[in-house]
Amino acid sequence: MKITRRNFIAAVVGGVAGIQATPLPWKFTDDVAIWTQNWPWVPVPATGEFTDVSSVCNLCPGGCGIAVRKVDERAIKIEGRTDYPVNPGGICPVGMGGLQLLYDESLRFTGPMKRVGLRGAGQFKEISWGEAFDIVAGRISNLRKKGTPEAIAAVDGNPEGTTVSVLIKRLMRAMGSPNYVRPPSINDTYRMGNLLMQGTLAPMAYDLENSDYVLSFGAGLLEGWGAPGRVMNAWGMWHDGNPAKRKTRIVQVESRASNTASKADMWVAPRPGTDGALALGIAHVIIKSGQYDSRFIADHSFGFEDWRSLEGVNHTGFKTLVLEKYSPEQVAEITGVNPKTIVSLAKGFVSAKTPVAVYGKGKDNLNGSLYEFMAVQNLNALKGSINRSGGVLLPDPIPLSDLPLLEVDAIASKGLKTPRLDQAGTMRYPFTDSLINNFTDAINRDSKSPVDTLLVFSANPFFTLPDGGGFKKALEKIPFIVSFSPYRDETANMADLILPDSTYLEKVDDIVWPTGLQYPLYGLSKPVVEPLYNTKNSGDTVIELSRAIDDSVGSGFPWENFEEVLQTRAKGLFDAGGGLVSYDPDAPAWQRQTAGNGPKPEYESFDEMWEGIQSEGMWYRPVSSPRSWKGLFNTPSGKFEFSSKLIAQAIENYSNKISKKAALKNMGLAATEDEVCMAHYEAPKAGADLSAYPLKMLPYEMINLASGWIPSPPFLYKTIFENQLLKDKSFAAINPKTAAKYHLEEGELVAVKSPAGEVQVRVNLSEGAMPGIVYLPLGFGHTAYDEFLKGKGVNPNNIVQAGQDPISGYPVWWNTPVKLIKV
Amino acid sequence: MKKANDHGKFKYGMVIDIDKCTGCGTCMVACAAENNVAVRADQSDKERTITWMRLYKISNGKEFPKAEVSYFPRPCMHCDHHPPCVSVCVATATKLDFNTGIVSQIYTRCIGCRYCQAACPYGARYFNWWDVFPQDKGMDRYLTPEVSPRMRGVVEKCTFCHQRLMRAKTLAYAEDRREIEEGEYVTACAEACPAQAITFGDLNNPEHEVSKLIKHPFTFRLLERIGTEPKVYYHSNRDWIRKLGDNFLPGEYTPVVNKSWAEEEWSTKPGRDEF
Repeated sequence: MKITRRNFIAAVVGGVAGIQATPLPWKFTDDVAIWTQNWPWVPVPATGEFTDVSSVCNLCPGGCGIAVRKVDERAIKIEGRTDYPVNPGGICPVGMGGLQLLYDESLRFTGPMKRVGLRGAGQFKEISWGEAFDIVAGRISNLRKKGTPEAIAAVDGNPEGTTVSVLIKRLMRAMGSPNYVRPPSINDTYRMGNLLMQGTLAPMAYDLENSDYVLSFGAGLLEGWGAPGRVMNAWGMWHDGNPAKRKTRIVQVESRASNTASKADMWVAPRPGTDGALALGIAHVIIKSGQYDSRFIADHSFGFEDWRSLEGVNHTGFKTLVLEKYSPEQVAEITGVNPKTIVSLAKGFVSAKTPVAVYGKGKDNLNGSLYEFMAVQNLNALKGSINRSGGVLLPDPIPLSDLPLLEVDAIASKGLKTPRLDQAGTMRYPFTDSLINNFTDAINRDSKSPVDTLLVFSANPFFTLPDGGGFKKALEKIPFIVSFSPYRDETANMADLILPDSTYLEKVDDIVWPTGLQYPLYGLSKPVVEPLYNTKNSGDTVIELSRAIDDSVGSGFPWENFEEVLQTRAKGLFDAGGGLVSYDPDAPAWQRQTAGNGPKPEYESFDEMWEGIQSEGMWYRPVSSPRSWKGLFNTPSGKFEFSSKLIAQAIENYSNKISKKAALKNMGLAATEDEVCMAHYEAPKAGADLSAYPLKMLPYEMINLASGWIPSPPFLYKTIFENQLLKDKSFAAINPKTAAKYHLEEGELVAVKSPAGEVQVRVNLSEGAMPGIVYLPLGFGHTAYDEFLKGKGVNPNNIVQAGQDPISGYPVWWNTPVKLIKV
Repeated sequence: MKKANDHGKFKYGMVIDIDKCTGCGTCMVACAAENNVAVRADQSDKERTITWMRLYKISNGKEFPKAEVSYFPRPCMHCDHHPPCVSVCVATATKLDFNTGIVSQIYTRCIGCRYCQAACPYGARYFNWWDVFPQDKGMDRYLTPEVSPRMRGVVEKCTFCHQRLMRAKTLAYAEDRREIEEGEYVTACAEACPAQAITFGDLNNPEHEVSKLIKHPFTFRLLERIGTEPKVYYHSNRDWIRKLGDNFLPGEYTPVVNKSWAEEEWSTKPGRDEF
């Protein structure tokens, strides 16, 4: 177009008029004004009266003491308590960021809700509590009327033994369903191992603080194992003062240079899943050199030497097995650890005064392997570190009272007779309480789900289970899902009905014996703030639900509220005597008191004790003198069993039903005869063509990222390094040598493919990674929650191909074959 | 060496024991929670994410399985000698308080030129590109009134939890005391550290633990040779960690060998066993 005077004027006038019509100049002017002034939307936090409320953190089974700083009714900061026995002052980053889990509204359910959108879309409509109870109770009583109460199932992520989990179990029984399952944790492995080797029922009690040589097989001491506040405090103590005069040495056995491995005095890196073999190699050196505690072995153990049964059959003992099969050279072959290192580990272990061998797998969120645990526990036995200060203590179970016996009606007793979907406790898995992976398979196997109504408590199995996405498929098939989660997690988003729990800062709840602690502790959290929203303590919800179902179920729950149940159980603590309800930091609970010299309880009646527990949040019994050996081991032999008679019995029972060969095969055993009763190494089955999947994927945990059912407070993402998460991509730690084979460079996109699935990540070249292994961080890859957590990275659980651990049946999540494909 | 800030009464500083530090990040979270630090949806862009206390991951550079990692927790160093940020600030929005040794930041004076950010050798300063955090999520409910939330367009940094000093002083005043005791004023990170790796106190007071710890031969500072006299000290028995405290040219770094230490108290060589 030619520029004429006319055109020119038209353009200018048009332009000026046009600018008036667009919002841009106004937006810019506005912005300039805003940027150069004080802007009104910077919040001015209201001030008021400052107070501190003492409570207990319930975000993990660690149960650290917390002091919450408040301004009037607002909680503004969480700090560690110095007057709490578990954690003298420190807490972990997740607990430190806990207020975001309370106040970030988009993470939470603000009241009972009904699903309105598609499953997984997270669209819900608020309803009343009455309506919510009607829906779920109606459904359950229908199933009961139809005579199929076993079609109700519950997934309960509350730690074993907590009062709310006892109530949920009770509700399941009262309704008549055997299908109560739990996500696996390391405590399950401990429980089973202790039962088989020691016949003890109390949780694992490692006396770390008094130990002078901590040989940790895979326990992520600095990754959040046990009560993080306790373990990290011990770490600080171990490193106090002049290093030359340091008392405690720490050795970490792990394939990756984790924080624990890096910070330990020595790091030994066996191939993943071969920790047990390494422990047996160490046992070999100890036995061969004769440096074991012969008194413990002679007086308090069974199955060390070869033995002859009453029927006159000769049996192989642990000594023969280990000397034959686990020489340092043989073990080096399996583990990849230098034989010299194995010898020096054995030397270090036996020459220490009070060494302890600790077993674990990262945090305590996931299970371990039974035989690995047994192999590690054998080291404690060889050194006589069992029932000795600085070793493994054998306390009694916490003396909480049992609830009154539950009488079930005819419908329930019929339902309870139906077999469990997960086959736990059957001849095939004789010592296992619950096998959620089998439960998932049972649902996915048939076209119609055997579960009609699923109740999910304090768990997010969709996200946390190492099952290659199996539970997600199961959820899609289950007709009706009820979630009791306070958070909008992945599993809750699949639910049809939400009966939201209050968060840990809004309710009273108990913590029963933090993982790994060497003395019994009962913690009680209290509402730090009034519930912000229309939520209800799940303990109360269960009681109310039982009454809404029918009178027969409701009659098993005669309590007014959850607190009354807590009190009922706590009676046993009073009856047992000797427990303290306050803590003096100058007398740490782990310091052994001479008999009768320790602090005395300061209460005289149950009411006084309960008042103390409520205000201080604790009941505990400090470590006392070693226990009398008499009746300590409740195994068939009455001794510590290197060779478990219970396992032998279980295999025999099963063999009587089907052939022995089939029995061993079903139980996942490659070994035969006496070996199966003892710790031994079996290479896990590959489950895939290893030429197509030449590498292994190992999920790893970090202390600064929640990988359990609790969401990570958004603050935690500040602590994540840019080579762990960048924008929406998480990183795989790969050894440069392995990466070079695939021509991968730092930051490059790569697909990690297993038979179960595929995820895309970036490459982080890390010398801390074992060649041949792809390490993926756990805790990323949420598809639920809000913009702080959603769509960041990938969840390695989605590609885990888990086999079953022999005998226990727990998932072997550390053995996924993968291949790398450059994107 | 020139002694700076010797006319002030107090000189607060900290010693971080790298060997005790477990790299858990509780100090970072405690700091953010204590100081109303903004949270954004994407916090992986470390240049824009505000972390007054930040962990730097370091590695000994060896191959598997001799590789090991460690962490430098890095707050503001509160340089005692001509803090570079103070020197360059055109708005007098940041200054070194000679009575406490704290390098302060006055948000309402800050004009957002980010000169100080460029000057800081430690990258300890952060610019607010956005407002505190996404609106309408109820997250403003945990903000503490003791620390003013920052508006976008200003620079912020670690203040050694100055509000905690105020709190301790107020308490002392209420109890009719003139002085505050050791331990009455500690930063949020020091208090939160579950491994007690951070010690905080008055470097001018010989009774305080920090002034004893800084005399240790294995105590060092970051970029010590640029002469800003940081008041944050680090401590490690591992030689490779101390070596990373400054940019040494090849051969320039001499391992710390204190004769009396080596002879009297060291039975093994410093650092951990090699396997």
